[in-house]
Amino acid sequence: MPIGSTLAHPAGIQPGGSRKADPMPDVLETSLTAVPANGGGGSAESRPTVPQAAESPAFRHSRTHRLADRWAHLAFLSCSLLVVGLIGGILFFLASRGLAAFWPVAGNMGRALHLSEVFLSADWAPSSDRFGILPFIAGSLGVTGLALLIAAPAGILTGVFIAKMAPAWMRNLMRQVMDLLVGIPSVVYGIFGLTVVLPLVSHTWLADAPASGFAVSAVILAVMIVPTIVSLSTDAFESLPSSLDEGAQALGSSRWQAIWHVLIPAARPRLLTAAVLGLGRAIGEAMAVQMVIGNNPQWIALMRESTDRAPFLRALFTPAATLTTELVQELPNTAAGSTWNNVLFAMGLLLYLLTMVLILATRRLGRGKEA
Amino acid sequence: MGAAPVFRRSRSSKLVDRLMRGVLWAIAILFVVVLILFVGAILKQGWPVLNLSFLTKMPETLDAGGGIKPQIFNSIYLVVLSLGISLPVGLGAGVYMAEYAGKGRALNFLRLCIETLAATPSIVLALFGMIVFVQAMGWSFSIRSGALTLALLNIPVITRVTEVSLLAVPRELKEASYGLGATKLQTILKVALPYAATGILTGLVLTAGRAFGESAILVFTAGTNASAQFPDFRLTVPGETLSVHLWYVTSDGTLPDAREIAAGTAAVMILVLLSLNLLVRLVDRAIRRRTR
Amino acid sequence: MLIPTVPETKPIKLSVRNMAFSYGEKKVLDGLSLDIHAERVTAIIGPSGCGKSTFLKCFNRIHEVSSAVNVSGDMLMDGVDIYRGGIDEVDLRRRVGMVFQKPNPFPKSIYENVAFGPRLFGVSDRTSLDGIVEDALRKAALWDEVKDRLKESATGMSGGQQQRLCIARALAVNPEVLLMDEPCSALDPIATAKIEDLIGELKENLTIVIVTHNMQQAARVSDYTAFFWLGKLVEMDLTERIFTTPRVQMTEDYITGRFG
Repeated sequence: MPIGSTLAHPAGIQPGGSRKADPMPDVLETSLTAVPANGGGGSAESRPTVPQAAESPAFRHSRTHRLADRWAHLAFLSCSLLVVGLIGGILFFLASRGLAAFWPVAGNMGRALHLSEVFLSADWAPSSDRFGILPFIAGSLGVTGLALLIAAPAGILTGVFIAKMAPAWMRNLMRQVMDLLVGIPSVVYGIFGLTVVLPLVSHTWLADAPASGFAVSAVILAVMIVPTIVSLSTDAFESLPSSLDEGAQALGSSRWQAIWHVLIPAARPRLLTAAVLGLGRAIGEAMAVQMVIGNNPQWIALMRESTDRAPFLRALFTPAATLTTELVQELPNTAAGSTWNNVLFAMGLLLYLLTMVLILATRRLGRGKEA
Repeated sequence: MGAAPVFRRSRSSKLVDRLMRGVLWAIAILFVVVLILFVGAILKQGWPVLNLSFLTKMPETLDAGGGIKPQIFNSIYLVVLSLGISLPVGLGAGVYMAEYAGKGRALNFLRLCIETLAATPSIVLALFGMIVFVQAMGWSFSIRSGALTLALLNIPVITRVTEVSLLAVPRELKEASYGLGATKLQTILKVALPYAATGILTGLVLTAGRAFGESAILVFTAGTNASAQFPDFRLTVPGETLSVHLWYVTSDGTLPDAREIAAGTAAVMILVLLSLNLLVRLVDRAIRRRTR
Repeated sequence: MLIPTVPETKPIKLSVRNMAFSYGEKKVLDGLSLDIHAERVTAIIGPSGCGKSTFLKCFNRIHEVSSAVNVSGDMLMDGVDIYRGGIDEVDLRRRVGMVFQKPNPFPKSIYENVAFGPRLFGVSDRTSLDGIVEDALRKAALWDEVKDRLKESATGMSGGQQQRLCIARALAVNPEVLLMDEPCSALDPIATAKIEDLIGELKENLTIVIVTHNMQQAARVSDYTAFFWLGKLVEMDLTERIFTTPRVQMTEDYITGRFG
């Protein structure tokens, strides 16, 4: 009896008669009988199908369902495209105003400026037609750098503390503290700086009354960006394989040695990412800084002229200005289309481009981690 | 034969370990103390000002004793409006990224855009809103300019939280739905989004908190004046919020009691945000208890 | 031959010809051809990684939900190619139900779980839904256990009950074929026995394909057994035959536990 016929199909289904022998390895060749190649021993006249079970017509998708499915895809896609469009739109509109300072554009009231007299000059006197924004760039970098100098080590150490050392209750407490710190509005940080921190340093040997400036701004900013750094670096440490830590401690290194020599280096790319994102937050912060920094575009000159015994320290407490604070301070007072106004938009454009660079930098850092 | 070296932990390494453990604890505790001092100081300054009439009176322009009634209204109104605009967009983009975009260049690029928008300083968004809504559309400083620009701040946050919550939906549940003949849309609407709803809701409350505290955007789009009518639902009038009011009275300085008004406003804001935070925590705990 | 040949009276429901399956570059299944009869239980056995689950999932195209896959050859249901015959995969999945390895009830009430399918197709009036739910739960031998707590959450049930609920949920949309992917692998022996009894009852008017790593289970519940190895079909035959007089040495080795 041919083995194949034991299955006794009434008729093998033969789709498209051109079917070739199944390509199976030699060993299995003989066993390919589950489907008799010749259609089995049975009668081959009819194509047997299951009599369609009385199908409930209710269990069919209506046309509306199908159309909805298709349109929904489009709707979701267009939401995403809107976000992409926004990125481009912001760039376009800021550029349209910011770059107008440098090209003779219809509607411009003033002359077209030279790039160098804006970006390479520290001379800011808009009413006398001098538009050097170097003081603001330097101010932004100075305040942000100082803030990062405080927030990055503190945030990373807090991250490692939360991820690897703190008991559960402390971990929970720290999470809540960070959640609250990140939720406090910048104007409230500003008012705190203005009414609590500044009076502390005013009328001391650090500053003549009333104090303001880099130092206080940086401290406030540091507290504002610390939650970002803490949360990202906690994630970074938690995502490290626990074998790393255990391995180091099994070799007899102390808790701190394991953290310093093993965990921090291993998490480095993500810690840098955390710092860069913190930097981004700090450099873009406007209101809190504006309320405490003193808003003095001439701060560089003021520092240069000062004949103090402790110039550096006191410099940290002289009124200064940054890109963001100057925007908040002067944008409402300038007429649209004036050179002054255009230069302010150019400062906004600069901030936006900086954001893009920082985000791309975090991408780079992320890729470095994978490699 | 030379004796094998003895590897013993040096006294100094033990000392450093002790010291650094102490430092880590100290830094962590410092943050707790900073928060307590901060909230304490704000509430203490605002406490004498906080009373019913402060909350329910109209503000004064030159005299002392004004209230913050319209600012409270505007804050809530703008948060609701901006969420109403950003929620559909953010949800849609989040759903697209989690369920449709697949893994590849497109998704990567979308993520990049979302991250960029999320990292864009609010002062930059304010400039954009000022150019487009305030000037080009001719809407001047108004509730609608403010709500639309504020929505830009919310969109990336909602998108991100939607995407993350949807990615956390177990694959088995989606498969079960598809296995029954559900379309993709049905699976998303009936299985994935309900499962992700709590995560999205939590994110939404946090977004609301952020929008509530935002000031830079609103100074340049919704303006620093509040309507004299109350309640004024018109979208075309300026809408000064609590946070803008706090900043404006401080920096403008024409009010004799600017300090008190600012302190009271700050205290109100802190109280609102603390309650929002508590709300999130309670909801979270309730859900966790229910699903356990 | 010891076993008398049983002439098969049931028609062929699913027919696979020279089918191959790959994820991107990786070929998982190759050169498969077999027939599955209506109202019979067909078991697919084989060592883990042999592609049996993948094969099962090809019948309702659920792979396509999460990744790009490539299926070549023919897979026919009632003579119509389910990949190229103009059948929409959403319709297909309604007709080809599936029960998964791990019970996966929705985090909803028992009632809502079963009513989920009918609701997808627009059934919304209470009486029809009640009828469908009761019918499906009865078919899944779960009605008596849950009829008083239909509103309770499905996630509070035992694993075995959850799996039977998933069966009821699949039955509620009136499928023609039921695919079961190791449905008992997460269950205890008593719950397993209940599911196995259920399979015997369900085959009265369903085509059942079950993937199992448990050979006793295949022997107990199935009419036909197919043995897969490394993405290929080694042998398919009546279950009795596979377990008593397999034609291929490799099948015998696997069944007697010499490998796998």
